[in-house]
Amino acid sequence: MSHSLEAYTDIAGLPAIRQMQRLGERLRGLRVVHVNSTSEGGGVAEILAWMVPLMQELGIDTAWKVIRGTPAFFGVTKSIHNGLQGKIVPLTKKDWGVYYDVNVSNLSELREPLEGADVVVIHDPQPAPLLELCPKRKGKWIWRAHIDISRPDRAVWKSLRPYVEKYDASIFSMREFAQPLPHPQFIIAPSIDPLSDKNITLDPAELEKERARFGLDPHRPLLVQISRFDRFKDPVGVIQAYQLVRKVLPVQLVLAGGEATDDPEGKEILEEVMGAAGDDPDIHVLLLPPDSHRTINALQRMADIIIQKSTREGFGLTVTEGLWKGKPVIGGDVGGIKLQIANHYTGYLVNTPEGAAHRIRFLLHHQEQMQAMGKKAREFVRENFLLTRQLREYLTLFAWLLRGEGKHTIMV
Amino acid sequence: MSEFEIKDCSLLIRMSGLPAAVNLRELRDRVSICNPDVLYHHFCETPLAPSFDYPDYRNDFAVWAKWRLGDEILAERLGMIDPYLFPSMEELRAAALEIIDDRLGEVTMIPWARPGHEFYFMQAITVAFDTGERIRHPDELHAAIDRMTNGSIYFHVLEARRREPVGQDDFSSWLDGQEGNWHHYQTAIRAIDVTFHSLSEIRRELVEGLSKPRTKKTRGRKQ
Repeated sequence: MSHSLEAYTDIAGLPAIRQMQRLGERLRGLRVVHVNSTSEGGGVAEILAWMVPLMQELGIDTAWKVIRGTPAFFGVTKSIHNGLQGKIVPLTKKDWGVYYDVNVSNLSELREPLEGADVVVIHDPQPAPLLELCPKRKGKWIWRAHIDISRPDRAVWKSLRPYVEKYDASIFSMREFAQPLPHPQFIIAPSIDPLSDKNITLDPAELEKERARFGLDPHRPLLVQISRFDRFKDPVGVIQAYQLVRKVLPVQLVLAGGEATDDPEGKEILEEVMGAAGDDPDIHVLLLPPDSHRTINALQRMADIIIQKSTREGFGLTVTEGLWKGKPVIGGDVGGIKLQIANHYTGYLVNTPEGAAHRIRFLLHHQEQMQAMGKKAREFVRENFLLTRQLREYLTLFAWLLRGEGKHTIMV
Repeated sequence: MSEFEIKDCSLLIRMSGLPAAVNLRELRDRVSICNPDVLYHHFCETPLAPSFDYPDYRNDFAVWAKWRLGDEILAERLGMIDPYLFPSMEELRAAALEIIDDRLGEVTMIPWARPGHEFYFMQAITVAFDTGERIRHPDELHAAIDRMTNGSIYFHVLEARRREPVGQDDFSSWLDGQEGNWHHYQTAIRAIDVTFHSLSEIRRELVEGLSKPRTKKTRGRKQ
């Protein structure tokens, strides 16, 4: 469900909303088209579901188009996606032909709005060839990479790059994710929607209901890691950290993630996790359905400390979700976690189970410090990781691309 | 009296195109050739980046030297560079290079950063816009500043120093053109050490500084 910009006033603050409205006024009437490959499911669709209505509310004529593909196309684009994230994938010339042909087949519907738009934002690799298929385009075209392409399978990147380098600009989530390209590359970090089910304030009664449902003791400290059962999220390392703390403090641990039955590796990791947990009644391994947003929200709110002890991470927005709930977060010193945790201020960056255990014990013995950190954590998210910031950065980019002429500062 | 036009601005960070530095030698080489906008970003645009309480240093080079190279001596020296004391980016560049060169001459091993902790050379774009709000009289300054966004404070106090007249904030420039004697306001503004304050602190200092003379004047009238 999308909300109006005004609904965010109490959270983001009136100055931030006013700033956006004023910037929006300068772009009123602009025709913007976003293109991706799915209307629901996945992070990109989630972002567009709130961003498009908010841009429209600001007076920007914004449309969201979805390319239609065949199962073969999505099989190929899944491989491209994996290849860009570093997995070696065997993609043939025929596969790239399927990829291109599906983009061609979408042209009859898309050519007119795309060629007439002032700004086109192409999300991820699936619709990337559309630019060269619209030779009469008049606007600025932006390629938005939502994934980490810092160490791609070279063969995949070599095939995709000719499509991408013709764009006027590209956007990456982190500077570490970018690839050298012949156009300006901008950094726009992801954000959270504070009014979504995953982040909205919950009634204490709802928290207690969830606490009872999972058999959690309200009188003992609770550690929570929310993530799928993946080796890089290091759930076994989290259990080791818990076990080190458990020797001296009566803590409880929740490891909650999605069902992994269709993922052979996920199943294997889950078995490892269950083995490491043994018969400890204070370790709660929860397999949650994909729509458990309020449950995840409740678990994060019930936690004393949130953990995200990844050994490799893309952006890891669960960290921001935890910080927004006013909790200190102990996270792995990797990927986007480094951006979200201000070490010693909103939580701690750690490298080992021992490091995590050390910080957990320290915090549990220093409740005041924990509360102060939690307070700072929430303010940090308010200033840096709410969707209003992400929207403002898109508007900034549009204004600069249309009127900037390469200058550092422009007046609009 | 001319009106003061309150502007606001929004920044967006972009890659500079330079490869990341993994050690002090590479940092030195890239500082020597980077675009002035890159230097400006790492020295002057940091107040718009997230920070907490009183960060150790106000520029990204000093922070990297301390936390990623583990070289506190270099961090202390780089941290004392006040970018607003240099008349141009080239002079700022020369000062930074001299400190780095001195350090390279002192160390027996080139300090280096672990993978994942490289120094990325970034720059920013700034889109500024008129808020439509106006200040009509110098006595209205403190109340107007109190309502300003961080973007406005940044634009009028810090970013202004890069524009003509170079080195001066917009409020002081505006006061220069007003009838009457507003030296007490200008003195209050110039007394603020902007390098070591966050934007919220600069706003608070400005409001306090600009309120004081007015209070004295009011008292004087009453007596």
